[in-house]
Amino acid sequence: MTERKAEVLQGTLDLIWLKTLETMGPMHGYGIARRIEQVSQELLSLNQGTLYPALLRLEQRKWISSSWGASENNRKAKFYSLTRAGKKQLAAEAKNWEQIAAMIGRFLAPGAERAR
Amino acid sequence: MLIAWMNEIGARVKGLFLRRERDAEFDAELRAHFEMLVEDYRARRIGEAEARRMAHVRLGGAQQIKEAHREQRGLPMLDTLWQDLRYGFRQLRGSPGFTVVAVLTIALGIGVNAGIFSILDALALRPIVVGARQTVVSFYPIFQGKRHRNVHGSSSMFSYPEYEAYRDQNHVFSGLAGYVPFVEATVGGERPAQINGTLASCNYFDVLNERPVLGRGFVEADCATAGASAVVVVSNECWQNELGADPEIVGKTISLNHTALTIVGVAPAGFEGTEIAPSAFWAPITMQRELVPDLININDADLSWMSVLGSLRPGVSLEQVRAELAVITARTQVKYPGTMKVSVQKAMLFNRPEERGIILTVGAVVLCAVGLVLLIACANIANLLLARAAARRREIAVRLAMGASRGRLIRQLLTGSILLALIGGTLGTLISFVSFDGLVRIVIAHLPPGAPPFALHLAPDARVLAYSLLLTVLTGIAFGLAPALQSSREDVNTALKDEGGDAARRSARTGKLRNVLVSGQVAVCMILLLAAGLLLRGLYKAQTIDPGFEMKGLDSVTFRLVRQGYTEAQAAALHQQMRERLAALPGVDGVAEARNIPLGDEHWQTEAQVPGGANRQVSYNRVSPDFFAMMGIPIVRGRDFTDGDVQSSARVVIVTEAVAREFWPGEDPLGKSLMSFGEGNPLLEVVGVAKDAQVDHLGEGHPNFLYFPTDLKGESQDDFIVRSTLGDAATLDEIQSAMHALDPQLSFVAARVEDNVSNFRAFSRIVVAASGTLAGLALLLAAIGVYGLVSYAVSRRIREIGIRMALGADGRDVMKLIFGQALRPVVIGALIGVVCCAGVSRIFSSLLFGVSPLDPIAFVLVPAFLICVAGLACYVPARRAMRVDPMVALRYE
Repeated sequence: MTERKAEVLQGTLDLIWLKTLETMGPMHGYGIARRIEQVSQELLSLNQGTLYPALLRLEQRKWISSSWGASENNRKAKFYSLTRAGKKQLAAEAKNWEQIAAMIGRFLAPGAERAR
Repeated sequence: MLIAWMNEIGARVKGLFLRRERDAEFDAELRAHFEMLVEDYRARRIGEAEARRMAHVRLGGAQQIKEAHREQRGLPMLDTLWQDLRYGFRQLRGSPGFTVVAVLTIALGIGVNAGIFSILDALALRPIVVGARQTVVSFYPIFQGKRHRNVHGSSSMFSYPEYEAYRDQNHVFSGLAGYVPFVEATVGGERPAQINGTLASCNYFDVLNERPVLGRGFVEADCATAGASAVVVVSNECWQNELGADPEIVGKTISLNHTALTIVGVAPAGFEGTEIAPSAFWAPITMQRELVPDLININDADLSWMSVLGSLRPGVSLEQVRAELAVITARTQVKYPGTMKVSVQKAMLFNRPEERGIILTVGAVVLCAVGLVLLIACANIANLLLARAAARRREIAVRLAMGASRGRLIRQLLTGSILLALIGGTLGTLISFVSFDGLVRIVIAHLPPGAPPFALHLAPDARVLAYSLLLTVLTGIAFGLAPALQSSREDVNTALKDEGGDAARRSARTGKLRNVLVSGQVAVCMILLLAAGLLLRGLYKAQTIDPGFEMKGLDSVTFRLVRQGYTEAQAAALHQQMRERLAALPGVDGVAEARNIPLGDEHWQTEAQVPGGANRQVSYNRVSPDFFAMMGIPIVRGRDFTDGDVQSSARVVIVTEAVAREFWPGEDPLGKSLMSFGEGNPLLEVVGVAKDAQVDHLGEGHPNFLYFPTDLKGESQDDFIVRSTLGDAATLDEIQSAMHALDPQLSFVAARVEDNVSNFRAFSRIVVAASGTLAGLALLLAAIGVYGLVSYAVSRRIREIGIRMALGADGRDVMKLIFGQALRPVVIGALIGVVCCAGVSRIFSSLLFGVSPLDPIAFVLVPAFLICVAGLACYVPARRAMRVDPMVALRYE
């Protein structure tokens, strides 16, 4: 059942991963997970492990790339970074999201309520 | 987005490799993540053990994450397929007995189907290959609307002028060959022999890219002038068998139909023309008048008698050919504009629509029949699978309880079934490829002597393979689907809790499915058995049918003088001498003449009409005055023909009762007028009515038939019927030596008139033998199915039977119980089968010799027989139940 919810959300989640990477620059999985929890104020609190298949999918689509590096604590970790295709995809998805959000917003605005 | 998708798929394919390395890499990544989490918690001053525990919770189940990652990495469909296949293999290896039985059953079913399909493929689906693996194009005319057309052979053929127009005006073929197949010729020499050959355009071997291995072959000049170039190319076979494989054969002469032809070539080995009858020689088409001085006028633009084959120019499509030929057709058919179209296709063994129609229809019926046998076999395997599923229900329940989805289970079980089908199907297809060519040869070698020569080379091609594969997969689904659905519907709780509790309800459900399967089997088997039974009745009718004329003591002498190369004058003289010789033979007390011998292999048809009435198709014969008396066909009204009719070419006709009824219902036909052989011909006067007799086709009732008197002009075409008191063998010997003494070069056939009937019966015998074998196979399979059903039911109910017997039931009661339950699906199936067969039996009414397609004898005896066999199949396992010792049965688990 959770699978189905994720499916509905998938495009949105992609947008979140990509945007996070754009803001933070190259980052390892743990950093991405932490960042998302902070920004979403723990509302979006998944098992952190579920991040990895999603990252793999983005990588397979060549929106992000990965390479091994050293973390701030000098631990070996895999760093993900946005590619050019990823930036383009992010721009497209962000625009799409803004349009939808604006549209939903218009529906929810007081004026729309009166018209009903 | 599309690019992203393609990238993903590409990456997933790559992900199928180096699994271990990728697993290790992800392990490391995940471990790093875990350690960072732990560090984080430690930094918040949480104890080591608690930090690790919280990190585990935060991260989630490592195994699930790894599995999800793995699934994202590769192609999970392929992975599960591979798993399922391995599982299937293990299952099959685990029960070798079942596997062997199932594989052999499937192999038999698929093998027969693939073999039959490969015959159909060779006849009408596979493009013929000539030269160096080259296909050629064939086309034929289709006529529509009102126009005149002479036909020699089939209307779907061209005239020589038409062929020339297509050959010279097209830009799509690198060459277009024309030919006339099935030209019979008598080879002169010590013992005259009949061979079959081809009249061909002189570019024939170049177009087909089959250049002679000896000699120059034809050159253009050979076809330049009619009758000028007496040359011939012989087949390798003919060269080996008739000409002693003489290496110096080129330049020598051979006598065909009394015409001396110079051999200019020997065709490559294995090339025997492009028709079903192998061609022994090819002569230039311009030698037609010398070789076949029939009624053919080579310059007749409205005569159908030639087939054409073209080799395409490189890069030309069939569409272009169609367009081009349509233009040429429109340009050349000026006399009857718009009445001819041309149909174009890759050349096959049979191209003409009338032949293809018959072959494809018969092929479809036969394929259906063998498909039905396969279906019965499927039901047996499905039953075996159901029994096995019952034994495996605990395993399946465990897997369902562990979280396997139902779809996944069904997919796995189906994969196993298809795997089983593939093993059997491959085996069967291989066996059919190896054996069917030989089988066909054996059948061809055992055809009745009157059958036309033909050769059929089966060669498995992609089409046959695809058909076998499709059938195999369908088979796997057919026998696997129901058991898979059934066993995945397991109720986990009850299945895991105990064996006994819910088993009864469950087995009732499976039992219902098994009953349905057996009903289906019996129904299908019934259809095949009934068909075989009807055909058998037809054969019996054919053996005993009264054709309505006398055959005892009658012999026929058939020949084609003009076609053998005698001139008209020679033929007339020879014919006269033959009649005198025959009449003078000892024991002979009558000689009659007829254009064709009753039930012979020539059938003449024309149209006839009452003046002002509608045209009707009629068959006819030309007969001499004593014909009716000799054949014992009574003239029921009016008079017989007289010598005067023959001498004066009188315009008279004798009609049959059937014609009288149809043309002049309720009126006296005598003295009435009849118009025949097209409009504008003088009217014929009906002088007599002959009793109906089956002189044209045996067992086809009484179609319209007319008798015309022989005429002096075409007399030499008439065959003789000789009545003798000497006995057949002696008379035939007499005839042989008398004819040979008259002209040693004459080729003729002397045979009993009765032999013609056996040609009809032979065909019917072959059909009965084939359908009987098939029905027998079906019966055997269905009997095994019933036996299996009852055995299984008995074994499941041993305990119940034991209780009943302990409570006082005796053997008879138990027997009644078992029989009652087992025979119900059989009877239901039998009824369905009878109804289905009654619905379709009309399609082979032409093979029934007048037996009704709903023949009551067949429809009573065959079901009774089937029920008896089913009863026997029940009885054997039921007897075991009767002998059950209650004490043993009650303890039975």
